[in-house]
Amino acid sequence: MPEFARKIQIPAIVVLLIAATVSLGQSDDGSDPTSRGAARESEGEFHFVRLAYSSNRFASQVGRRQAWQTDWPDAEHHFLKGVNRLTTVEAAENGRVLIPLDADIFDYPWIYAVEVGHWYLNHQEATRMRDYLLRGGFLMVDDFHGTWEWTSFKASMDRVFPDRPIVDIPQDDEVFHVVYDLDHRIQIPSRQFIFSGQTWERDGVTPQWRGIYDDDGRLMVAINFNMDIGDAWEHADWPDYPENMTALAYRFGINYLIYAMTH
Amino acid sequence: MFEFFFNYSLQDYARSDLVFTAEWPAWLLLLIATVAVAGLSAMLWRHRGGATTGQLLAVWTLQIVMLALVTVLLLQPALKTEQLKPGENTVALVVDNSGSMAYGEGPRRFDVALESLAAAIPSDSTGLTAQRYVISDVAEPVETFTGAEPVGTSTSIADSLINIIDSARSQSLAAVILASDGIDTAGGISASQLADVAAFGVPIHTIAVGRDRIPEDLELAQLVAPTKALPGSTVTARVAIRHDREGEARVRVYDGDELLATEAVQLPANTTTTTAKVNLDLRDAGYHRLQFSVDGVDAEPELRNNVRSTLVKVEEQQFRVLYFEGEPRWEYKFMRRAMDPDGGIRLVSLLRVSPNKFYRQGLESAEQLEAGFPATRDELFAYDALIIGSVEAASLSDEQQQIIADFVSERGGSLLMLAGPNGLGNGGWGQSAIADLLPSRLPPSSVNSFVRTKAAVQLTPQGADTEMLRLAATVEENRAAWAGLPEVADYQATGTMKPAAMTLLNVVTETGGQPLLITQPYGRGHVFILATGGTWRWQMSSPLEDQSHETFWRQFMRALVASAPAGISLTANGSQGATEVQLRAEFRDDAFRPVDGIHVSAVVSHEDGDTYTLDLLPSQEDAAVHVANAPLSETGTWYVEAIAERDGEAIHVARTSVYSESGQAEYFNIRRNSALLRRLSDATGGQYFEPGDLGALPDLLRYSNAGITEQILRPVWDAPALFLLLFVVKFGEWLLRRRWRTI
Repeated sequence: MPEFARKIQIPAIVVLLIAATVSLGQSDDGSDPTSRGAARESEGEFHFVRLAYSSNRFASQVGRRQAWQTDWPDAEHHFLKGVNRLTTVEAAENGRVLIPLDADIFDYPWIYAVEVGHWYLNHQEATRMRDYLLRGGFLMVDDFHGTWEWTSFKASMDRVFPDRPIVDIPQDDEVFHVVYDLDHRIQIPSRQFIFSGQTWERDGVTPQWRGIYDDDGRLMVAINFNMDIGDAWEHADWPDYPENMTALAYRFGINYLIYAMTH
Repeated sequence: MFEFFFNYSLQDYARSDLVFTAEWPAWLLLLIATVAVAGLSAMLWRHRGGATTGQLLAVWTLQIVMLALVTVLLLQPALKTEQLKPGENTVALVVDNSGSMAYGEGPRRFDVALESLAAAIPSDSTGLTAQRYVISDVAEPVETFTGAEPVGTSTSIADSLINIIDSARSQSLAAVILASDGIDTAGGISASQLADVAAFGVPIHTIAVGRDRIPEDLELAQLVAPTKALPGSTVTARVAIRHDREGEARVRVYDGDELLATEAVQLPANTTTTTAKVNLDLRDAGYHRLQFSVDGVDAEPELRNNVRSTLVKVEEQQFRVLYFEGEPRWEYKFMRRAMDPDGGIRLVSLLRVSPNKFYRQGLESAEQLEAGFPATRDELFAYDALIIGSVEAASLSDEQQQIIADFVSERGGSLLMLAGPNGLGNGGWGQSAIADLLPSRLPPSSVNSFVRTKAAVQLTPQGADTEMLRLAATVEENRAAWAGLPEVADYQATGTMKPAAMTLLNVVTETGGQPLLITQPYGRGHVFILATGGTWRWQMSSPLEDQSHETFWRQFMRALVASAPAGISLTANGSQGATEVQLRAEFRDDAFRPVDGIHVSAVVSHEDGDTYTLDLLPSQEDAAVHVANAPLSETGTWYVEAIAERDGEAIHVARTSVYSESGQAEYFNIRRNSALLRRLSDATGGQYFEPGDLGALPDLLRYSNAGITEQILRPVWDAPALFLLLFVVKFGEWLLRRRWRTI
């Protein structure tokens, strides 16, 4: 193999894999979430941006969906309506989807990643995410459960911040009080709860609100472990899903958002 | 030549009236003239012979001219002149003996001045009695100039002259001769002082000694630096260098023994004063005596004028800025993040997060802003600056809007209006009670003027000269830094600029450009419009180590609060090197209304311990202000404490300090100020002279209109010119008759 070909081999494979991942990230109706978001681009101060990460090798797929697509697009659709109804934030009507290396990511200082037990951030992506967060971006991760998914999540998160600990968010942290006082936090289950009556999944019995802080004590990454806020948003219009769980999920989301826009 | 033919000089004729001294009645003169003309005409007609009419007319004209000349001679013409009465008048000989008169090339200016005065008034020709004075800060009469030396530490020409003329009026002062270099360390002669001097009616003749240009000297002519600073802040000082040749100078700044900064300054050929900015980082709290110096050049005559000092007090002080925002947005977040590390400014924010809920940050107490936006003057006036974001004017009552207007115009606070979906024109601020304050006429709220389109920002020439927009050390680097900034996220139309508005930044849009940052003063305060809510992209879209966004907001906020006066303050202002400063104490209550019924005194203490007390008097212009002049007799740091007392009890205290270079003034401004001396002569009816050209001075003195004068008549009838003319007329007639042989 010529020297030039060898030099470009690995980057080319990375680019192709990312492209393939995004192209495979089709919604149930067969459309591309990124192009759909762009086609119906709406204006606003706040845009719900979903992180289209690469899945790790253990990632499960539901139909043709990638893990990052979980709950899309109803979760953000419902949540954004709630934001516009309950706050003065001028939120764009539709969400957007970006891969970590998209240069536009810096135009959206709030980003949501779901099913992060299945994500994989390579060194370049981790560096990008670190840069994004240290400049002032905010990451909300959600919907991952149990020991194995935590380990998988942490493996990539450690590449983002090798030397920053993941800690439990204290009860008195402003993020739990900025709009709503969230003193009594309970596990927000996924919709399987309706069929199983079980609020947890795998061995993730206890919900945990964790985070990563910057040097000035500001929360950069809100980690919602052993719970599924995205499902609560997604199924806000489903009669069987508990209304109080949806309401609580809205409150968490709004608190994360307002915190991110004020700190 | 003129004097030979007409007996006297042209100036004599100019300053005199021509009169006839023969006491003949007019009717007799008329009768004689009529008879003479008739007789001459009759005789000529009788002896006309074969002469033509033209020949007759020519001879007749010449005879009439001769007759008129004889008549003039018979009337005995003379010059009537007013001149000083010998022995009755005095002239003040004034020599400037201030320190600057010791300079000179060869002979000192002072010696040239004495020689000039001696030459100006030969004692035997004018009949004037000379009174001698030396002047510096005051006038002092002397018997003789012998032994006088140029040792005065300051010069006040106008006050000295007024003093001399006023005291010498009883001695019939005819004129003043002032020999000086024209350097006045009291700040020059004002128009009112000039009018006061001229009102005496005594001509002042000036003899200007010295040189207007001294190419071999550099001088640090002026130093302007703030007197207070926050720890860790960057202080900008301005130095003005006077020079009479092209070149380069190097300015060095020392804080004690530590070299703080050096700055190379180009000195162009087309100006004599060049101003440069020097940025200084002052880290530690306390007094810093900063010494600025300009490196000397070869053979420089005076190195003491290359150095100036000033005192800067670095102290912890926290200004308060209130930020009222109508919606959560990224600009709010990133502005707060930029300001968080700045301990000098507390950014208190009131953010509407839902239609009926406000989120407060930066609070000093749990009760602060609990009821929303301030509803009283006291509450709002506690802040130094106010920022209004994307929020409708209608969210505030008419009273609250009026308090904002008062906050700017009366309290002197700064107001910054930000763009947003509900900001500026969209928010109806153009029709609000603060519309008059704004630097532009905003578009109406019925038209959306806010655009979420990214756009590049351009620094205007005025913006490039503004400290708060300095992102890099040099002008070129600053321009490059601004050109390299990411685009802002949005912008908003600002409408029509008002006449006093200044544009500091522009935004480049698809249709060209429009103002982005504009400002204008209003009342005691300033108003700014930043027509974007998207500077946060400078943070998110720049490398992590880039500090442009933080620097912009910190400097901008400091500029906002720096111009806001404190309610209680004391300043000491004076020209550098002056021996006194003006104290100005201001006492206002929480609502910034004058504290009345107070007596204000000041305790002035030198660093060595000398202390005195003086009273400050209420200012005519402002009831909150008390003023007094405080003499500073020694070089060094002076501490001043102004105490406001009511019923014998101290209710407020204001403090300041000043570094005095007392007695140094004469080393500065050493170039001759001939313009001042010319102005003085012109205003008083005197004349300006150079030392080598004093010939006309004795004559000027003799005919002064001031003092005791007498009227003299000097005959003109015997002037050779008249008899020569008589001869020419008669000889001409004889020649014509001889040639024509007809009459």
